[in-house]
Amino acid sequence: MSEQTEQAEQMNVFEPHEWRHKTIVAGTEWKNLVGTASGTFQLDACGDYYDVSQMGAICTKGVSPVPWEGNPSPRTAESPSGMVNAVGLQNPGVDHYLIDELPRLKKLGAMVITNVAGHSDEDYTQVVEKLADSEADMLEINVSCPNVSHGGMSVGTDPVVLSRLIKHLRTLTDKPMIVKLSPNVTDIVQIAHAAVDAGADALSLINTLVGMRIDINTGKPIIANRTGGVSGPAIFPIALSFVWRVRQAIPDIPIIGIGGIDSGEKALEYLYAGANAVEVGAAALFDPTAPMRVARELDDLLDSRPELAAKLAKGQTW
Amino acid sequence: MPTVTTRTVEQQAIKAGRKPGRRTDEVIAASVLSDGIYELVIRDPYVARTAEPAQFVNLYPSDARMVLPRPFGVAKIEGDDVTLIYQIVGAGTQEFSQLQAGDVVDVLGPLGKPFDVSKPANYVLVGGGLGVPPLLYAAQILNQRNDGSEVTSVFGYRDECFADDLVAPFADRTHSIVNAEGNVVDLLNDIEDELNNAGKQPIILSCGPTPMMKAVAAWASKRNIPAQFSLEARMGCGYGACVACVVDTPSGRLKVCKDGPVFTTEELGWEA
Repeated sequence: MSEQTEQAEQMNVFEPHEWRHKTIVAGTEWKNLVGTASGTFQLDACGDYYDVSQMGAICTKGVSPVPWEGNPSPRTAESPSGMVNAVGLQNPGVDHYLIDELPRLKKLGAMVITNVAGHSDEDYTQVVEKLADSEADMLEINVSCPNVSHGGMSVGTDPVVLSRLIKHLRTLTDKPMIVKLSPNVTDIVQIAHAAVDAGADALSLINTLVGMRIDINTGKPIIANRTGGVSGPAIFPIALSFVWRVRQAIPDIPIIGIGGIDSGEKALEYLYAGANAVEVGAAALFDPTAPMRVARELDDLLDSRPELAAKLAKGQTW
Repeated sequence: MPTVTTRTVEQQAIKAGRKPGRRTDEVIAASVLSDGIYELVIRDPYVARTAEPAQFVNLYPSDARMVLPRPFGVAKIEGDDVTLIYQIVGAGTQEFSQLQAGDVVDVLGPLGKPFDVSKPANYVLVGGGLGVPPLLYAAQILNQRNDGSEVTSVFGYRDECFADDLVAPFADRTHSIVNAEGNVVDLLNDIEDELNNAGKQPIILSCGPTPMMKAVAAWASKRNIPAQFSLEARMGCGYGACVACVVDTPSGRLKVCKDGPVFTTEELGWEA
């Protein structure tokens, strides 16, 4: 490695890269195996630090039928090797997304997973109907956000409610539909089956775990919402086990592994657990270039694992 | 850890149309400024060359249990060296207070939207507590550019006046007050005639506790003096991705780290 390249890598400034390993998720071809996780990517912020078209996929922040102002401040607190957040899916709404963010992402050449958020079946319906003919490559149905008062996690923890919603949304679009699962359940396999049987083309897991921090000087929760979602390196082994359990139970559904990934090595563990692709979330908040760095590290690691790489490139799972 | 040569990488980043990500900087000096207030000097040519007043840098604790960055307003720049001034508020700042010359620390930035100091004016820097450091840098920049602007500092301290000597070389007029004597609004009342008699139209730049800034906004608004406020907030990422550090404004919840930290009185709806 030249001295200059070494310095560039220390500084996390990335030149364009020829990807050697790709993956296929529900019929969509990713140029590498790493995407950005929903809620941690904002084009106007992250695009300053790396070429977003170089990512395997860009998963947007949750898009709701009308603008949502999210939860009051404070919205975040640090936790051991992680963070707790309760942003509450603040976003400018699907109409704005279709006019502004999606065209800009597509113009840059990014493959886009649009994360769909709602408080009710009607909310999800409205967003999916508007996205059905859009340029979005995939839709990710967010039934697992712990920080919205209705919809969100309450949908994703009840297999009957989830099944009804996904069956309905399936009739509205031909786009590949990913369902993002919550870890805040007794049996994730049961929920995964419900989503797949109702028509999900892929699963992404996991969303954040419910947690909280208390300020011992006041005795009160630090986050205004009181509880929030825990993410970061602290949840890595937990999330990994969820991916593994779902893969054991459902051998042929594409899975996107999410939770605590901050290196190529951790991403590789997800592939061995049964993921077809991964997304980097909280690590991007601790270093904007983390998704790109992880993608490159994983690309290098797969060089010495040709059999695994070949299976993933063909869209095969276990 | 190797000594990092930022300049080469900065050039690469600019060539690629990108900002450099998180990097490792060398600590040039570390000292105690006054009781519980610390000064840290890091070498970062990119920040030194590009930072504007009220922009901040993220510092990251080396203890992996602490994942979130800590934001610090730039207080001074000399050559490639960037001075930060801070108080210990928790485990992260506690860790930084142990840094010594020759150590390294991870850095991202400069971040945020700066003060608009484009017009020649009498810039009245109104700061309280640890809101003072970004105003020090504003004073330095205004002093250096030589466009006829004047600088008046109005600093409020809890007890010890830790920044008066630091701002004096860059200011035309310096004023300060400690808690026991009153607050910065009392001080603004005392010097109102002086502000009116200065050669230029006053523009207030303010940073400090929110109640102080709201009082300053009301004072300025009553006198039709334009004012800009650099807000502090509990941040997540510091660069606009997580949407954690919002402030309620008449045009909705805006991100302090990316839409700010600087906002005008009107943007904040603080005229009343």
